[in-house]
Amino acid sequence: MESQEGAAAAAAAVATRDCVLDFSRLSLNTFNVNNVSEDRQRDTRQLFLNYNRLSWLPSSVSLFYNLEFLDISNNGLTAICEGITRLTKLKTLLAKNNRLDEFSLPKEFGSLQLEVLNFSGNRFQEIPLQCTKLLRLQSLSIGGNRLKSIPAEIEYLTSLEMLYLGGNLISDIPPELAHLPYLTYLVLCDNRIQSVPPQLARLHSLRSLSLHNNLLTYLPREILSLVHLQELSLRGNPLVVRFVKEMMYDPPSLLELAGRTIKSRNIPYSPYDMPSNLVRYLDLASKCPNPKCAGVYFDSCVRQIKFVDFCGKYRLPLMHYLCSPECTSPCSSNPQSDAESEEENSVPADRLQRVLLG
Amino acid sequence: MEQTEVVKPETLDELIAILHKIFESDTINVEEVQNIMESYESKPHEWTKYAKFDQYRYTRNLVDEGNGKFNLMILCWGEGHGSSIHDHTDSHCFLKLLQGQLKETLFDWPDRKSHGDMVQKSQRILQENKVAYINDSIGLHRVENVSHTECAVSLHLYSPPFETCQTFDQRTGHKNTVKMTFWSKYGERTPYTTISKNLFITKK
Repeated sequence: MESQEGAAAAAAAVATRDCVLDFSRLSLNTFNVNNVSEDRQRDTRQLFLNYNRLSWLPSSVSLFYNLEFLDISNNGLTAICEGITRLTKLKTLLAKNNRLDEFSLPKEFGSLQLEVLNFSGNRFQEIPLQCTKLLRLQSLSIGGNRLKSIPAEIEYLTSLEMLYLGGNLISDIPPELAHLPYLTYLVLCDNRIQSVPPQLARLHSLRSLSLHNNLLTYLPREILSLVHLQELSLRGNPLVVRFVKEMMYDPPSLLELAGRTIKSRNIPYSPYDMPSNLVRYLDLASKCPNPKCAGVYFDSCVRQIKFVDFCGKYRLPLMHYLCSPECTSPCSSNPQSDAESEEENSVPADRLQRVLLG
Repeated sequence: MEQTEVVKPETLDELIAILHKIFESDTINVEEVQNIMESYESKPHEWTKYAKFDQYRYTRNLVDEGNGKFNLMILCWGEGHGSSIHDHTDSHCFLKLLQGQLKETLFDWPDRKSHGDMVQKSQRILQENKVAYINDSIGLHRVENVSHTECAVSLHLYSPPFETCQTFDQRTGHKNTVKMTFWSKYGERTPYTTISKNLFITKK
């Protein structure tokens, strides 16, 4: 986010006064580090090379060995030089609007101590694995690229607070994203996402979630448990507005019926009793959310859309999974009603204050 | 309708001074205000102190209170930030791009009877230094920074000033009155701590 990056630059400038080298907007075709005095090479903390015509960055950039902030945005870079990995104090790297892709990064890129990384406006089709090794990363922007997916390895970025992936070709959100304990701002707008995994409800720090312009028809009901979520943008999604008349239900298999019996009657079992695949199956049982039902389900469940009121104004379609058709509560089995909201499912007014539906 | 002499404001302060003069009169000429605002060429060093961004959403930063006749403010839009569909509470609204671009989508007022999607009238991308105008008789609009790489900064003039407006749900046309707050005033951050149904929730 530019505000965070601007703050990083400002903070660095205040701390180090004149240790800023501004070579931006000079129509440079090349950058010759040797033109800079040794003193300057040592003292520079921020280097601006943005808005030039660089097609490559010389490895000699590593001579700025105390560099903390590097902006190489808006050039024609197709690769990031290996020398950058020797900038052990580099905290912020801005490389927006270049021609970088997942093959552009040096092998040891993951060893950098980066806190802020911006690759927006490039040609990445994948988030390179080197990026998932940046353990100090707090802010990652790869907006406006060609990403088709988010790797499960994203969960390694345990310091991540801000993740901007808007404007890509992402169709799925990996549940591993939920393992980021400090994530407060998640941007997934302008993608091709059809569903949100319920595990995202574990992002307890999430304050703002941007999902506008995707392919969502409903949200998982677990989204209600995101207590710190204040902003949710959902416009431009084909969210269902009418009560879903058909309840989708595949009758349970014999395996499922056996599994349900074992779990609901608390029949003890151990890895000595049965093959490991069955033990794993039993461990995956989900509890039916119907408070009046103590049942469990595995794969066979009723998927039902319920509308939940937010602040008495907006009605969001949330997908509920119930263990059987009998578990639906009496009032919601009325297919004619789309104007009602369920009292026990109303979200209090101080939650989700700014749900941007439209 | 008398027009004041067309003087090109060289600085933001000059623009503000000219606006004060124009708004001394009780009637305003929309074209005149639009031309004056458009002729000021944005100089970032003149408004940078008002341009305070928030990570999560766009901010409203008060620049001048126009002797009670108008409010002049700077809005800062991070990547992907956008507004709800909203009205302008019977006021004139002028919007000038100081940096970057903004997409404006116009909507008709929803019919009392209709409960379906709101009808989009038109869409355009406003370029740097251009000025757009809207009022309630023209319709409603949504303003968004659709860029995933650049921020946008816009200068807004509202006359008379207003503190509440209505926001609309695009899918149903349902409306909701919201109170508007400022992220900063005159270059100083002005945090609020109450949580209420605000259009612009500002917290420290």
